[in-house]
Amino acid sequence: MTTAPPPATRRDSTAEPVAPAAGRLSWWRQAAALWAFGLREYRIWQSYRANQALWIANLLVTTLLFFLLGKTIGGQAAGLLGPAYGTNYMSFVVVGVTVNVFINTNLVDPYIRIQRSYFNGTMDLFLLSPMSIYTPLLGLMTKSILDDYPRLFFTFGFGMVFFGATFNFAPWPLALMFTALFLAAGFGLGMLSASSFYLLDIKKGTEPVQFVVQGILATLLAGTYYPITVLPRPLQWVACLIPHTYAFDALRRLLDPGARADAPVLPVQFALHGLSPVAVDGLALLVFTVVLLPLGVVAYGRGIERARRNGTLTRWQ
Amino acid sequence: MDVVRLDRVGKTYAGAEVSLRGTKLEWKGPALWARNAVRGLRLTSVNVPPVRALHDVSFALAPGEIFGLVGPNGSGKTTLIKLIAGLIRPTTGSGMVAGVPLTHPAAIRRSVSYVSTTGWMGLEWPLTAEENVRFFAALCGMDGALAGARAAEALRAVGLWEDRDKYPSQLSNGMRQRVILARALLFHTPLVLLDEPTVGLDPANARAVIDLIRGPLRERGQTIVLSDHQSAEIERVADRIAVLRAGELARLGTPGALRAELADVMVIEAHTEEMDPPRAPAPAVVLATEYVDRPGALGLRAWRVHTWKSPDALQQVLDWLTQPTGRVVRLAEHAPSLRDVLTLPPEVIAARRAGAAASALAGSAPPEGAAVEGAAVEEAAS
Repeated sequence: MTTAPPPATRRDSTAEPVAPAAGRLSWWRQAAALWAFGLREYRIWQSYRANQALWIANLLVTTLLFFLLGKTIGGQAAGLLGPAYGTNYMSFVVVGVTVNVFINTNLVDPYIRIQRSYFNGTMDLFLLSPMSIYTPLLGLMTKSILDDYPRLFFTFGFGMVFFGATFNFAPWPLALMFTALFLAAGFGLGMLSASSFYLLDIKKGTEPVQFVVQGILATLLAGTYYPITVLPRPLQWVACLIPHTYAFDALRRLLDPGARADAPVLPVQFALHGLSPVAVDGLALLVFTVVLLPLGVVAYGRGIERARRNGTLTRWQ
Repeated sequence: MDVVRLDRVGKTYAGAEVSLRGTKLEWKGPALWARNAVRGLRLTSVNVPPVRALHDVSFALAPGEIFGLVGPNGSGKTTLIKLIAGLIRPTTGSGMVAGVPLTHPAAIRRSVSYVSTTGWMGLEWPLTAEENVRFFAALCGMDGALAGARAAEALRAVGLWEDRDKYPSQLSNGMRQRVILARALLFHTPLVLLDEPTVGLDPANARAVIDLIRGPLRERGQTIVLSDHQSAEIERVADRIAVLRAGELARLGTPGALRAELADVMVIEAHTEEMDPPRAPAPAVVLATEYVDRPGALGLRAWRVHTWKSPDALQQVLDWLTQPTGRVVRLAEHAPSLRDVLTLPPEVIAARRAGAAASALAGSAPPEGAAVEGAAVEEAAS
């Protein structure tokens, strides 16, 4: 049924140009929105002072735990770590723990943030602003980035000051590049994980991408706490299917004193014996990034579009 | 140019399965992933009938118009508003919002301010009222100085400037809703969508919100779509009103035109004490009745009886209600309001007008929100 609207004669049509209507938000406006997210998260983070103290204590305890494990291993560390990763178990494990925190943030956090935002009703707000659909995802992650990334300094600091870890920081630009690649690949996985919220309707409970990749493969096989050479050969090949394994290998070779860049450890490094192990790691991380990042972007976009079609984009209908 | 033009728009949701949570049959973990992946790949479908939320809805909104959407819960108001906002894609039909087709939700978002008071209302609880408003301004790309000025202006307009430093947990429901309305005031978008802005508010706060719509929002010349299930609020402010029923556009017109449809109907309100519902059938003059139990002792009821206009209608209703025991303590007669337009479905009126009252009432379902021929509408006393 259609009826003609009454003539609008009573009001002045003085609507001024509209900020959201002024066109697609430029990249600096998107960056400003991200900054607003960051400020908000910082406000929240710094309001929990007791939590900050516990956060540091937790790091200390974690590092202490591995120090005690290292003491237990004692002189066997060199034999366990092999020629590739030097002789200091504390250095080995500090890299493992730090990288694991990073990847955990990038891989696990997107799903959790989307889930929380969906259930507390702020997703409406974000999706109604003229931001890109990816900006809120990144913005919501600033909380974890604020929380988790500084752990790098604390973990390294505790390891070095209290527990005898030593590092070779000379190749830091290369280490930084590997870290960036690893984080990008991890974020690709994180977006895949977040997309399952809408694509697979996994609204609660265990999310499959993070459960399989982070919960099983990374925890057991990637070599966070022990070199993957202790695993049966077939499992070592399985370990090569996730980016974590290459990041651990490369960063340990670069940062751990006494580590060697030319001794292959991973099955893929043996297979590609013409290349140096670090080059293999770099190549693998590049491939993971090039594949996973666009895949994550597409999957997340498809997820949002599917939810828009099904009417499940927001919790409160 | 119309700000909104919808042409036979419909929306059908996939059927929602009955929850198996807590049972041995509950889908969990890998079983859930596999099932949803199979469904995502469309190898199987949900064996539950789909829900038709909207069907064949068409209308156009002129610039500056205030358009009310009313209807009972589940009639499709929120779906329609979210569809206009670009949060939901229509299943059928087409439409334009501010000159942008519904198929381009990203572009629509730049022309629409949307305020929903359902759920947790999108408020950031760790931020103060002012920070909430400014945060939204930042998300929409407004620079800091302008955001500060606009936030102050908006908070003053909603009467919250003095409380700007309070957190949502320190504000009443009505104040929280005004914070959300302040967000809508930040931008002078061509279209403002307000989904049940007065829900859960006491009459004074509801009136304040409506005054806000009648005042600052209307002054700007923005087109406003306002939904509510309380028709009285919308009647005060809307230029035109659409009545949704079961996802369909049942009526559309100005409040006066809608009320005029009941020009030959009158409403009798009665309060009774210690009185049972009448056992005798209602007299022919009665179109429909409803009653709610009033707080207090048993038998305290508030009746609302729709009758044809007739000099003796009041007496007939009084005779019908009156029992050997109990008493009528209040009796009033007045013209129908928009609420009565919602209560009386067009088919009931038409059938009665055609002189087929008895057969129509026997063959059709009772109107929503009302009870025909003396059946009770049980409501929690409040």
